[in-house]
Order: sequence, then structure tokens, then C-alpha cells
Amino acid sequence: MIPSLALRRKTLAARFPWFEGSLSALSASLVFFLASLIFFALLGRSPFLLFGELLSGSLGSTYGITETLVKTIPILLCALATALPARLGLLTVGASGQFYMGAWCGTAAVLLFGSSHWAAMPLMLLAAFAGGAFWGLVPGFLRAKLEVNETLVTLLLNYVASLLVDWVVYGSWRDTSNLGWPATISFPEWVKLPFLVHGSHLHSGLILALAIAVALHVVLSRSRWGLSLRILKSNRKLGEGVGFSWTGNVALVMGIGGAIAGLSGILETSCIHGRLESGIALNFGLTGFLVAWMAGQHMIRIIPLAFVMGALLSSGDALQLYAQLPEATAVVLQSILFCSVLATGGFLRRGRTP
Amino acid sequence: MKGITKRFGELAANDQVDLDVGEGEVVALLGENGAGKSTLMKILYGFQSPDSGTIEIEGKPVRFSSPRDAMAASIGMVFQQFSLIPALTVRENLQLAYPDLPMVPARGGGRDERLLSHLERLAPDLDPSALVADIPVGQMQLVELAKVLNLEALLVILDEPTSVLTPIETKGLHERVRQLAREGRSVILITHKFEDVSSCADRVAVMRHGKMVENRTAAGLGARELSSLMVGGAKVVPAVRVPPPTREVPLLEVRGLTAGDVFSSVSGIDLMLAPGEILGIAGVSGNGQDVLGACVAGMREVASGEVLLEGVAVQRGNGGVPDPTVVGFIPERPSVNGVAPDLDLSVNLALKGIPRLPFWMAGRKPSAAESLPLLEAYDVRPRDPSRRARDLSGGNLQKLVAARELSGARKLVVACYPTMGLDLSATQAVYARLFAHAQAGAAVLWISEELDDLLRFAHRISVLSHGKILGTVAAEGADRNLLGRWMMGAAA
Repeated sequence: MIPSLALRRKTLAARFPWFEGSLSALSASLVFFLASLIFFALLGRSPFLLFGELLSGSLGSTYGITETLVKTIPILLCALATALPARLGLLTVGASGQFYMGAWCGTAAVLLFGSSHWAAMPLMLLAAFAGGAFWGLVPGFLRAKLEVNETLVTLLLNYVASLLVDWVVYGSWRDTSNLGWPATISFPEWVKLPFLVHGSHLHSGLILALAIAVALHVVLSRSRWGLSLRILKSNRKLGEGVGFSWTGNVALVMGIGGAIAGLSGILETSCIHGRLESGIALNFGLTGFLVAWMAGQHMIRIIPLAFVMGALLSSGDALQLYAQLPEATAVVLQSILFCSVLATGGFLRRGRTP
Repeated sequence: MKGITKRFGELAANDQVDLDVGEGEVVALLGENGAGKSTLMKILYGFQSPDSGTIEIEGKPVRFSSPRDAMAASIGMVFQQFSLIPALTVRENLQLAYPDLPMVPARGGGRDERLLSHLERLAPDLDPSALVADIPVGQMQLVELAKVLNLEALLVILDEPTSVLTPIETKGLHERVRQLAREGRSVILITHKFEDVSSCADRVAVMRHGKMVENRTAAGLGARELSSLMVGGAKVVPAVRVPPPTREVPLLEVRGLTAGDVFSSVSGIDLMLAPGEILGIAGVSGNGQDVLGACVAGMREVASGEVLLEGVAVQRGNGGVPDPTVVGFIPERPSVNGVAPDLDLSVNLALKGIPRLPFWMAGRKPSAAESLPLLEAYDVRPRDPSRRARDLSGGNLQKLVAARELSGARKLVVACYPTMGLDLSATQAVYARLFAHAQAGAAVLWISEELDDLLRFAHRISVLSHGKILGTVAAEGADRNLLGRWMMGAAA
């Protein structure tokens, strides 16, 4: 970078704490916009019309906005589930497996206790927490006690969890009245969280997810525990030497992270699909993972990024419907966004004087 | 180099510095930590460009914008932190740096001979197919040097080459440096050790606060004169010897300590320290010092044995409960073992107290107000509590860890090479604070390679060799030859 420009950037950054953040957000958006224009042009369509379609599809109507927010919830929760272990330096890709285990265990609770109006929902949520947490604790235990790489274990457990769900929805939990469609019985109304906008899918899980993000942020930045995670991440031996437990903290972050992903699983199952089906995790786990890393594991920065991802996903439906573009278009746009954010981030960091 | 000036913000790291080096001449570049030696050399090596001033080689002005340019002008530099790849063999490391290496390097043949010729002269007994991870630090340095010489460097810069070497390795390196000079190569030796100057330098250049304050021949220069040149008007306050304890009540007892791994281990260590006693552990580094220190301090798990502090087991593992609040521990290589590099200096200084903070730290968060006096007292630079530990130089990290471990009341202090990389006055300052704990009644276990310092300040000296204590003597009137034999591994 030109010296005088770099210098000016430094003084600006010193005066305005938000300067660096907005600079990277702005430049990433610009790169994303330009790259998407090229992509649309390659499709042989007018890029500006398609952009209009994209925006109006995701944000242009009440329906669009609620759909965007609906998609934001699981992405946000899965991102939080990834970011928390990352605060201890653990790289997990297991959100989707924990999502399925939450859905699986929560559904089991509904099948067992669904008839009880007052107990069904709390039991369902508790079971989902437990299931997700368990699916996080297994790789956590292997990592803490046996130094087994947590990334590989969480990756493989994703397949196990999704197959477990398939096993029950094709098997013993299948509702025969579905005429062969692999799904459980429809959940009773009383296990669904209250909906925020009448007639839409938007449920109060959104508020729950936002509250979890804020709570995590406050605890991580204000508490001794948050500081101890940073110390252990930076130098594990030293942290253990002054009295912090590595094993205990691995269990905590993996367990809590898993429980959060498990919550997203049962919310999708009960509030969106209304029953357990195959393949409900879509790409939420992976998208959440990328959102967490784009946000630098910052619990608050995750929120807007999850929203943008939600918008892209929901506009994918619009592109498919109105512009007759294949469904994969949204996925391509999503990857363009990731690449823009990561590349501009790296580029800007290079210009920063150490 | 003429009139070199380099500023970092307000600070002039180099202020109108002149330096010239003749053919076949060894120049020792001296100065305290932060005097500007490294900056000057980084400019010469093309890492940084000067704000003003010129560099001339054989009368022709040159401008380096990267080390590549400097290498092309036959300047090579060996850094304190080596740039070797531990997982590769010595030969492979040399090949990596060799110019015009073919895609598939053939073994043997003339090329291999040329590749290894410098190394063979520097370290005849080093096996080129050994993994770099497995060879001692002193040999790594020679491999680095061979790498530089392979590039046909005519001017070689060595950055504090002897700070990580054992006395024997140091002597070897001095000989190599003289040898280079005889071949007509020029050498710049960054150092703050007197013995480096006396045994191989032709000329001495001294820097202080960014200025070149002295440039004269090395012959006839005494240690006292040299140290006063380095610190200028400021006087080095030598540490005071603490009188040995009068009563033999054990405060610290180490019983049958066995621990370690394939790289470094100790076995069957028995020690006993009275309150106020300083026990020096002498020995060539790499004989289990790191394991011994970390285990006694309760930082590392023991395989068997006990560490009893006032009769209470404080070792990690084997039923002990470590108590970091009453134990001060300066580990070897503080950059790796002593700090959380990604956290700021405040947190690093407050580290020992953090587990006892309330869950919501609120007003008791580690703060700049608490850490500034400590940074001040131990002369840690930069004095900025918000900087990350990662940004500090080796010497300043050493001071930072000393500041944390030596401030506050301690019952036991374990110090592994506590003055590594420190200049004269900082060394004495750390000694003074270390021994003050003995004065206050703590047991001090002091692991060092500086036999002179051990003999001067410790009460008793034990020699560690191959993970075992070979013998213990009172420091006063100790027989150097006996200690030396023990250090070489000869049993008592």
C-alpha cells in the first residue's frame, strides 16, 4: 500500500474504532458485487435485473423478509455453535451433526411425551440440548483425553447423525399415513414456539438465537471464564500451569456449542417442518461454520453475517421461481460472498503495519 | 554505512550511524537491548530501508530493498531465531537455500560436495542426513552459517550467536569466526558478551540509544571498560550476594523425581533447600534442565517422585496439588513457555491471579494501571500494556516473565536461565530481584550455564548431567575442575 495512504488509514483507525471494520465490510461488499455481476453476465442475463430480483426476493416484501429471518435462525445458531469452541482454538465442523442429534433427541421426546400439553415443549428442548451436547462432547472427550483431531471426528459424526435420522424416518418412526414419504408424525401445535409474524414461518427462536449470541458475547468478554479460554488458546501449558483446566473447558465449549446447534435442529424440525424429515439440515452447518470464521468468532459480528446469508438463501427461491435460474445459483452466490470476504480481509491485513 | 538514520514514530532507532568493515575483519557490534544494533543490521541486510544515509560496498553505493538484494551483494545474516525446517535433514535444509538447485537434487557427486563443503569445515562431525530437529542448538547455528556461506557471502552478520550456545560450543564458534576472517571474509558479530569480543573481534563498535558512541580496536580492551562503554554514564549495579542460611531446616524437598520424554528427562532427583538458600544447578543445557525446572515448579507432570514445599506435595501428578501463587517460575524459552503470546502485557503480567478473580471480573480485569509499574520496574520495552506479548523481543519477554514471577511474595522460585538474552545491567537487575527472594526466606532453585555467576551468587551448586545430579558442592571454595568434569558427565 502507498505509504501516505497506509499512514492515513492508521490515524483514521486510531481515531475511529469502527473504521477498520467498516472498511473491510465495504470493500468486501464491493468485491462481491462486482464478482456477482460477472457471474450473472456469464449466465447471459442482465446482471442488474437479477440483482433487483435478488433484493426484492429476499427483502422486498414482508414474505421475503420473514423468509430471510427464518433462514437466519439456524445459520446464526450453527455459527455460534462453531464460534464457541473456536474461542479455545478448537476447529469443529460438527454443527450439522449436532443439529441432527438435537432434532433426533427432541423428536424422541415429542414422540414419548407429546401428549402432555405442558411438559412436551420443555422436555423436547431439553432433549435437543442434551442430544446436541452429547454429539459435541464425544469429539471433545476424544480431543481432551486422547488428542484425537476434533475436526475429523466432528466431520465424520455429521454423517453418522444424518444417517441416524434417516434410519428412524425411513424406519420405526415413519408415519404410515404419509403415504411412503419418509417423515415422522406431525408435531402437535403445543411443541412449537410462538410465531412472531402471523401466517409466516418466523418463530420466536429468532429472539432466542439473538439472546444466546448476546449472552455469549457478554460472558466471553466480561467474565474470567472468557479470559481463561483466551489464555488456554494462546498457550495451553501455561494456562494449565496457573490452574485452568484444559479438559474441563474443552468439555464446556464443545458441550455448550453442541447444545446450541442441537437447539437449531429441533427448532427447524418443530417450527418449520413440523415433523422430523430426512435432510433438514440443508447446508446450515457448513454455512454457519463459514459465517463464524468470516466474523472472526465474534459473537455479535456473526449476527449481520448470518442475516446476509439468510437473505442469499431465501433469494435463491426467488431466483428459481421468477428468473428460472437453477437452485444452485444461490449456492454459487454464497461462495462468491465467502471468497470476497476472506480475500479482502486477507488483502487488508497485509496492508496493515505490524 | 554512512549517516544511517531510521525512525519508528518518535523514536530514532538509528541516529546518524556510521560503520565500516574492512576485508577479513571481525567487528563486534555491542550495545544494550534496544540500543539499535538489530535495526542497523536489518538495514544492512535489506530488511528495512533507512530514512537517510548510504551504504557502500567496495566504494560503490548500493540500495537494498530486500534481503535478496543484500544476498546478491554477498551479504549474509544468521539470525537469533533460526530459519531451519526441523522436519527436514541438514542436507535438505542446505539444499533449500542453495542457488540453482535442480528440481530433483541428486545425492552424491560434485554438487553434493560443494553443498556440504562449508558445513564439513564448520562441523566435521555433523551427519548431513540427521534431522534438524534432532541436532543440538549449537550445530543448528553452524548449519545456518553454512547456508549463508553457500551463498558465497563475503560479509557475514551473526546476531547474538553465542546466547544460545554452551561454553564449549561458544569456543568452537569463536574459532570458526576467526577462520572466516582468515579466508578474507568480513564478520559483524552482534553481541553483548565480553568473551565474544576478547576471543575473536578485531574491532569494537558500541551503540547506545541509537547512536554509534565508540569505534576502536579490540586489542587491550578490558571487560570493565567495555561494560562502561555499553551503558554509558549509567552504572551497572552489581547484584549483592545473599548470605547463606544458617539453619538446615528443609523448606523444599525433592524426592526421587523422575519425569520427561524422549527428548529431555530427569531421573531420581533428590534435592533439599533451606529457607533463604540459593541452589545453583550447573550443567550443559539439554541435560534435562527444562524438565527439572518445570517439574519442581509444578508446571509439568511428574512420572514419579515428590516435590514437597513445607512438607506439602506440590508436584503436578502423583497426588500433588501445584500452588502457582507461592511458586515463581521463570521457564526456559519464555516466548514458548512463559507467555500467552496473543494476549496483551497486562493479562500476561496478571496471569497468576486470574484464576482467583471473581467470575464477573468487572473492575478487577487486568489493567494498564496495575501493569505499568511492573513494566517500568523491570524495564520492559515497549512500556505499553496493551501490546501483545507476541510483539516483544526475546530479551523483553525474558524481563516480562521475570516481572510476573519475581514480583510478590514467593516461597519457592525456580529460575531457568533467567538472564538469557539480557544485557549487563538487566542481568544484574534480574539477579538482584531473584536473590531478594532468598533474602526474604524463599528457596531459590537457579538453573544456569553461567558458571561464574553460579559460583559468585549461589550457596551450593549441583551439577545436572544426562538427567541426573552428579554431585553437589558448596559454592564457596568449589573446585572448578571438579564441576567441569561433572558437567562433562564424569561421575563423582
